[in-house]
Amino acid sequence: MLVHIPSPLRSYTKNQSEIQVDGDSVQGLLANMDKSYPGIRFRMIDEQDGIREHIKLYVDRKQIETLNMKLNGTETIHIICALSGG
Amino acid sequence: MASLNKSELQRYSRHLLLPEVGIEGQERLKKARILVIGAGGLGSPTILYLAAAGVGTIGIVDFDQVDLSNLQRQIIYTNDDVSSSKVERAAARATSLNPEIQLQRHDVRLSSENALEIFSGYDIIVDGTDNFSTRYLVNDACVFSKKPNVYGAIYRFEGQASVFAHKDGPCYRCLFPDPPPPDAVPNCAEGGVLGVMAGIIGCIQATEALKIILGIGNSLSGKLLIYDSLAMNFDSVAIPKNPNCPICGTNPSIQKLEDITVTCESQQAPTTVSISATELERELKSGHKLLLLDVRTPQEVAISRIADSTHIELAELPNRLSELNSDADIVAYCKSGVRSNKAVQLLLEHGFKKARNLEGGITSWAKEIDPSLNVY
Repeated sequence: MLVHIPSPLRSYTKNQSEIQVDGDSVQGLLANMDKSYPGIRFRMIDEQDGIREHIKLYVDRKQIETLNMKLNGTETIHIICALSGG
Repeated sequence: MASLNKSELQRYSRHLLLPEVGIEGQERLKKARILVIGAGGLGSPTILYLAAAGVGTIGIVDFDQVDLSNLQRQIIYTNDDVSSSKVERAAARATSLNPEIQLQRHDVRLSSENALEIFSGYDIIVDGTDNFSTRYLVNDACVFSKKPNVYGAIYRFEGQASVFAHKDGPCYRCLFPDPPPPDAVPNCAEGGVLGVMAGIIGCIQATEALKIILGIGNSLSGKLLIYDSLAMNFDSVAIPKNPNCPICGTNPSIQKLEDITVTCESQQAPTTVSISATELERELKSGHKLLLLDVRTPQEVAISRIADSTHIELAELPNRLSELNSDADIVAYCKSGVRSNKAVQLLLEHGFKKARNLEGGITSWAKEIDPSLNVY
């Protein structure tokens, strides 16, 4: 699946703005991302498995609230991070 | 309706030819009042295009002065403007571009005390700020005063734009209910930004503001536009109105305008033991054995560094602690003291006996001790 990475997290992905990651659920996708890019999951997900407040996850451009959502491998994932610069 | 004079008919002829604008639309622009918060990277192109387009009254809020480091992206200013008031110079530039319009100067810091009063004189608010504190204040004031918030934000190679609090659409807090914790999201002064990002997103903000005045097209209300300049992609995701939004939801917890403090910009707690630039110089001169640890990026090190420093970037520090002597007296530094504060916390958590943070980072060192160093 194509995952769009926001600028503040690109230090983990060698500055790539898009990466390919597999996963049969959002939880699985994030786990696989963390294997390839250690530490990136914790920047998005807190200790209670909640999505951090300044991060939003989108599957096929629709915002998701739970990490249990199943994926079939054809979706596009957007990770959105609050930006302050102007 | 404000009528157009002969000179204006010529000035705006390319607008008048558009069926979606015409004389009526141009007169609507002349009558419009738009407030731009922040005359920086985003505000520069926004102000210029709104002025060129003939928006009759443009207000500018900024309390800052032009700095040399602004000119890489804040195209409303020239080299001669350095150290001058941003509001004054931006208003003068817009007036020189279009003397037919009025510029209102608000040379103040936007606060919960003055925001609603300033907003009351305008139809549309453009958010071109560079910090979360003001972004939340702008959003909240727009919700309370029922005025559209034309939003833009940039960082490195990425930009975002939307229109919040427009008619029944979502507000910024519907997307991000509360500001991020300090240091969760770096700012442009820390992480950098490609200058042209400000131009592209600022122009999108100007476009959205003009569309709202003209009542044409579909606005970005309910959508977040994402611009990835590395992949050269424009994409958008839906922003649903959040019934639990703390300010525009069905049972809002925020009832009045308040200042929001997000201290990610610099001096934030929990602080570690720190040392000032003058104290550090004294200790170094006295022969006290110190390890100066530079935790900035290689790009920053290439600009300037304090002599005899050991460089380990903060992101690499957790994996390279073994390279440092845990008995050493360490003074960590970065640009302004935020990242080195984190480094000192990390060192102390891993059993290092003495680690201190250089207050104000290399910026203070350059200002107080060694003016020959390059600043950035």
